[in-house]
Amino acid sequence: MKVLTARRINTLLAIAGYLFIWGPIVVLGIFSFNSNAYGVKWESLTLKWYVDFFHSPAIIKAVLRSLLIASITTVFATVIGTLAGYGLFKYQFTGRRVLRMSVLLPITVPYVIMAGALLVFFTRIAHIPLGYPAIVIAHISFSAPLAVFVTLGRMQRINWSLEEASVDLGADTLTTWRKVTIPLLLPAIFASAVLIFPWSFNDFTVTYFVAGVGTTTLPLYLYSMLEYSLKPVLINVISLIFIIVPIMCILLVYSVRGKRKHNT
Amino acid sequence: MAASNIRTKIKAHLHLLVTVGPVSLWILLFVLAPVAVIVFISFLASDPIGDILPQLSIENYRFLLFGESEYARAVLRSILYAFVTNMACLFIGFPMAYWISKYGGKFKAFFLFLVIVPSWSCYIIRIYALKQLVGYPGILNDFLLGTGLISSPINILYTPAAVVLGLIYIWLPFMVLPIYASLEGINPALLEASLDLGATPRWRFLTVTLPLVKGGIFGGTILTFIPALGDWLVPLLIGGNRVWMAGNLIEHFLVVRGKIAMASSMAVILTAAVVLLIYMFIKLGGEESMERIV
Repeated sequence: MKVLTARRINTLLAIAGYLFIWGPIVVLGIFSFNSNAYGVKWESLTLKWYVDFFHSPAIIKAVLRSLLIASITTVFATVIGTLAGYGLFKYQFTGRRVLRMSVLLPITVPYVIMAGALLVFFTRIAHIPLGYPAIVIAHISFSAPLAVFVTLGRMQRINWSLEEASVDLGADTLTTWRKVTIPLLLPAIFASAVLIFPWSFNDFTVTYFVAGVGTTTLPLYLYSMLEYSLKPVLINVISLIFIIVPIMCILLVYSVRGKRKHNT
Repeated sequence: MAASNIRTKIKAHLHLLVTVGPVSLWILLFVLAPVAVIVFISFLASDPIGDILPQLSIENYRFLLFGESEYARAVLRSILYAFVTNMACLFIGFPMAYWISKYGGKFKAFFLFLVIVPSWSCYIIRIYALKQLVGYPGILNDFLLGTGLISSPINILYTPAAVVLGLIYIWLPFMVLPIYASLEGINPALLEASLDLGATPRWRFLTVTLPLVKGGIFGGTILTFIPALGDWLVPLLIGGNRVWMAGNLIEHFLVVRGKIAMASSMAVILTAAVVLLIYMFIKLGGEESMERIV
């Protein structure tokens, strides 16, 4: 009986936690169908704001900018991050510990510090123009470490004798990479990309510091909407779209992983 | 023999260069170099407009820490809010992680997924969602007024309580994950053994389970305390720029006032606090807390 009550209390606390996490988001989603653009009072059901969203060139442009930046970042950061994760796992070399700690830096130090440091560096030292180049460089600095650690985590669970077998059977390095190593790393590469894309797409702080003038990504656009209270209900619409994108990404990972388990 | 030896050596170096080379170069250029630059700039004097002068000085640090109390207070406030956020996340997050691990059954992955998903959506949107719900005008106020449960609107926006609520809301998921991972790593034989040896479930929880998830708790602490400490958007959007934290000072000096040296000093102070705290948490939580954060 006592165990049962403990369980009940635990369940209640968990439900409360989930309500806290999801309540505001669900309400936000529901209110995206509300015909009142400013107030928080429910008026009537409408799809007007969704039509508005697709007819607003400024928002569409912002979405496209964010997609472009996230795509370039994902490809580049995933490639160099996976390579580094592989190297860190496989080889012993001087400076390995230092490299591991340095890679950890951008993801543990609060973004505002690193983003500020990058802004100073870009404008005063490196003279990299703010806007796309600065945003992409900064995003790669923050997301390549994610790929490094995803790869390091996965590498421990991979059976590396296949790679050795390939070398023993006379395959050269490139063939081994192409036929054995990369297929083995594919789940890690995929997981990294799925993590990095939404990160880059949704990032506000880093982009805010290095965007300069004119390169308004979607999060920056949302921020300006909030600041100037332009049709706040559009934020509800965008948020529904924002929340669906990561859900789809993660569902994709789960389904792919499920299939892989099925095959083996 | 010697020739082939040299060849394998070159090959090994080549492998190393191709794999860890690009990231090493990138981190050196776009992480370590910028950090070195701001550390250097933080020790430079500036002219009245805020431009840096080629002259060493610790005036910035003196000004921030002992000068106008408003700034030192923002730093102390950040530490306090981060601590409260961290504790609240622990008390809300632990039961969630425990519940998923113990009663999640076949749907563990799904329940965990429900915790992670919001943390991957846009920060601005999550803050706005909270604001729309609990603010005034806000949905909760509207509802409570409508039902007559309250007679005058409760406005918590732009108060310290609202900022802390926002911080908890944003960073909670990062407490659940490491604790869950830790709980899953417990060897069930240990739990059985403690029952066999006569421990009551409550005693077992306190003396076996809790010590075993120490690493996860401190891992989660690093993942909530540190970002909360450096948060600047929650105080900006929910605190309405009235409740400043350390991150706001960096943005204020750098973007609004163009005082690079001052902003750099603030960043160095905050980084020092972060490094010190991470070191402390790892000392307290052991090696595992380090593993749980990545």
